[in-house]
This record gives sequence, C-alpha cells and structure tokens, in this order.
Amino acid sequence: MTVYITSTGHHLPGPAINNDDIEDILGRVHGKPSRLKKRILQSNGIQTRHYAMNAEHQTTISNSAMAARAAQDCLDQSPLNPKRIQQLSAATSQGDLVLPGFGSMVQGELGLRDIELHTSHGICASGMMALKAAYTGIKAGEHRNGLVVASELASRLFKSTRYEAAGDEVDFNAEFLRRMLSDGAGAMLLEDQPRGTCFRIDWIRGYSHADAYPVCMSVGSPTDPNDHRTWQDFPTYAEAEAAGALLLRQDVRLLDNIVKLGVDGFLRLLDEGRISVNQVDHVLCHYSSDYFRSRIFDSLVQAGAMIPEEKWYTNLYTRGNTGCASIFIMLDEFRRTQAYEPGAVILCMVPESGRFNTMYMQLTVVEAP
Amino acid sequence: MNQKVTTELGQHCLQGLLRIWFDFERQLGRVPVIQRLERDQFTIEDYRNLLLHLRQQVIEGARWITRGASSFDRDFADVRSEVIGHARDEHRDYEILECDYVAAGGQLADIQNGERNLGTEALHAFLMHRASQPNPIDLIGAMWIIEGLGQKMAADWAKRINACTNGDGSYTQFMGYHGANDDAHMDKLYALLDRVCVDAQSVKSIHRTARVVGRLYALQLEEIDHD
Repeated sequence: MTVYITSTGHHLPGPAINNDDIEDILGRVHGKPSRLKKRILQSNGIQTRHYAMNAEHQTTISNSAMAARAAQDCLDQSPLNPKRIQQLSAATSQGDLVLPGFGSMVQGELGLRDIELHTSHGICASGMMALKAAYTGIKAGEHRNGLVVASELASRLFKSTRYEAAGDEVDFNAEFLRRMLSDGAGAMLLEDQPRGTCFRIDWIRGYSHADAYPVCMSVGSPTDPNDHRTWQDFPTYAEAEAAGALLLRQDVRLLDNIVKLGVDGFLRLLDEGRISVNQVDHVLCHYSSDYFRSRIFDSLVQAGAMIPEEKWYTNLYTRGNTGCASIFIMLDEFRRTQAYEPGAVILCMVPESGRFNTMYMQLTVVEAP
Repeated sequence: MNQKVTTELGQHCLQGLLRIWFDFERQLGRVPVIQRLERDQFTIEDYRNLLLHLRQQVIEGARWITRGASSFDRDFADVRSEVIGHARDEHRDYEILECDYVAAGGQLADIQNGERNLGTEALHAFLMHRASQPNPIDLIGAMWIIEGLGQKMAADWAKRINACTNGDGSYTQFMGYHGANDDAHMDKLYALLDRVCVDAQSVKSIHRTARVVGRLYALQLEEIDHD
C-alpha cells in the first residue's frame, strides 16, 4: 500500500514574539536580565517565535487544544469527511496532563469517533515516530487514512518562577533551552490514495543511539550530577523542584554528537541506496539552531555528500524551534509557500538530542490522476 | 569548506570511513571505562589504569608503522615516505605517556613492566600481520581510526580527565599533545586516500582494516575492566 500526505496544517499561538520581548513573557529570574540570552540567541539565529502563555504566566491555549487547531486547519483543506478518519497519532514532549496519553486529550478536543489511537512520547523525533506509526498502519492495510498531530507547549517550563524555585544560581544547561524552544503545533493527513498535488511517502527511517550515549536533553534529573534520584524519587514534588529536577536541561558538551549522528544516518541511507544526493530537490532539516546549519554543511562537504545550499528550506528563524512539531510546521509552510514540481524529491531530517535519535523521511511530489 | 578528497573512489572510501568512525565512537560509548569518563564518575585510579593499558599499544605503534613502510615497493615510494615521516613523528610518544603516568602518581617500573591485555595482543598481532603484506595500503584504515582518536577525542578526554580528577593538565600531556597535533596527520591521510583508492578492492581493504582496528581498539579498552 502506498501512503500519501494529502493535507497539512499548523497552529502557532498568539502574536510573533521578537528577541527583545522574550523576557516580558517568560520573566526575569530573580528580577535580573539573563547574561546568556544574547549569546544563545546569536548562535541559534531565531528572530521570532510564539508562546501559548502571556506576560502574567497564564496559559492562553492548552497543548491539546493547539494540537486540535492544527488538526482542524489540516482537515479544513481536505474534502475528506472527518467522520471517516480511522486513526489518530499524536506526539508531544509534555501533554497538559501527566496521564492519560496526549492522543486521548487531542481526540477529545477534536471529537473524533471510534478511531484507533497512538501517542508517541519523546522529544524532537517523537513527531516522526507518531508519523511512522500512522504510515505503517496504512501501509499494512489496517487503515485507509490517519491524522497525525505534533504539538509542543514548552514555554510553561520556562517561567522565571520555576528557576527561582530551584535556587539562586541558574546553570547554563538549564538556561540554554529557555532561549531556544517555543510553542506550536502541526498536523498531516495521510491517505492511501493521492489527492491533488500531494506528497507520496517513499520511506521513513530512524536510528536511535541511546545504548552508546548518555542523556543529553532531559527533564527529571536534579541539578547535582552526583544525585542519581529522579523527580519521582523525592519525598515531595516541592523538594524535587527545589533540587532542580523539574527544569528542562541540555548537556551542551554532548550536543556536538547531534551533527555527526545526523550525518552518519545520512551516509547510511546513501549506502542503502535510499537516497541519491543528486536526486534530492528539497531538504527540510529540523536543526534546532543556526549554529548547527554550518556544522552539518561542513560535514557533508567533507564527506563529498553535500546537497547544494539553495535546496535547503527552513522556517526556524521566524517560527522558532517547536520541538517535535517543527518538521510538521515546516512541511506545512513549505507546501503552502514554495514552488515544487511533480516528481520532486523532498528529504526530511529530524535529529533529536534527547538521547540521540535521528529520523529521516523521503517524499515525492505526485499529482493525483 | 572544501572537499579534502576529490576522486570518486576516494570519496566513496571516505564516506565508508566516516561511517566506520561513527560506529567506532558508539562502540567506545559502550565501554565501561569510557562511560565512567563521559558520566563524570572517572577516578585518578581509572586514569592510571587507562595509561597502563594504552602504553603497551602506543609503544608497538611505531613498530607496525615502520614495518608497514618497509613493505611498500618502489611503485609506492611516495606513500612509503609519508608513512616513514609519520612513524618518525610518533615513535617516542610513549615516553610522554610514561611521564604522565608518573605525574598521576604511578610508579615508572609498573608501566614499563606492564603487559599487553587481550585486546592489545589482538590489535598488535593484526597490525603486524597486515603491515607485513606487500604494499599494505589498507593500513590507511588503521591510521584513520588511531589518528582519528588523537584528533577527535584526545583533547576532549584530557579535558574531562582533568575535570574529573581535579588535574591541572600536568599529567594529561600525551592526550593534550595528540589533540593539538593530529589535525596535520589527518590532512595527510586525506591526500593518501586520493592516491591509493584506485579500484573497488583497495577501498574494500581499507574499510575492512579500519573496522577490525576499531573493534580491537574498543576490545583493548574493554579489557581494562577485566583485570
């Protein structure tokens, strides 16, 4: 069975927030402007992003409602009757509730009836994992279609009050992602028949390396590296928070691995004959920061496997880094704003730094007969 | 950034070598002593033990390289020159390593009388065997792994070792030196790839030797925890 992406959608909450206004929303830790902000922003290159939170730290739209808006945007552009949707596959790094699964909450928001449900949990690659679940469901002939949604509401983690609760000193690893991540949702509709100009999914492939690398990006471990408890091992959640165990943290010294593992996966796909460098017309790569763009290019040039720079498309700089939703929001904007021909090959790449999981997808533009 | 390797076969060889290198890094990531280093649980005893085991391989390093040099005939005189130069650069490096061991609190006699562990035995035997073959161009695969360690990992390891053991750099001279100097060695390797990758067989043999050396090098480090 062949699977097609026949529609896409997105939802970015509230107005675009520029670099000068970030702290008006997230707040200043202990009332002080961040010393690291400028450096981090310069390296990631992001100019504007969206937050589902206002300056009073009130959530303006829930994560599941954002996911549902993106899904609705996707469905609104398709003639498919939503009552005929057979499966829903949803991804996020953090739902609104700890339990049940995020997908259940999104289904409730959307009012989809009698569907088969999948929730994918993780960081940036979880959106692709959700997509693969729906894709294989159709490919196996279990379903004729599937709705896939990826949504992130990271800003709630970045309230200044949370850093204040964890003590006087903010470590760089906890501060780092505060300038990188923002909120948004994207959706795709998958069907076993093409419709109009759409994308055929040629393959989706992932390589995870958690056996060989330590945790790089996480929530749940205390600030003290010698304290091996996780957030639920503390007597109370208040004590876990005071120990910094509820802050999102990136072990920045491990981050360089993301480039080489991303390139490694790319070379594997070349070797397996799944990609041919000369045949790729567009590359959509979820690099989390502009800093990585040139690093990836250097590695690919060195390996003699570079795809010319003009073929790389991104909307990172204006939409922000929305984690697992990024590649969905990117493909949606690409579909609506860029020129592409039937037969064009699109390569999507999502390297995740959580514990190093990289995912790839190849699409071909097709025209329904 | 320019491509360092320009021929099609050279590039094919390089892409394979990059993948073998990434796989080698993952193998290292599964080795207990390296995991302790990556996770800040590494002690000064771990470091002395690491040097004790590494020294036995380093001291044999110049031997297989010079043996390899002597196995290149006149058609490969240019390659032989490169390899001889490389051996000369490194053949007394083990002395720096011994100084580090003593500076880290070890006894000189202990490291000088140390024995090769099982992984080092296998690695050394394999390299001497390959180096004894006529025109052993596949040794470039071995150098790719071993020089790569110097260029890509040694400086980082030295930094972590110092951080874990409150060191001031006085006993990580060997790794510090390789981290700073192996870039030039790697550039010479890139030039050699274009020179020797003349057919599919040469590429295959370079890849195979790189893979074997990576596996045996990791085995050597795994054996540290078996003593």
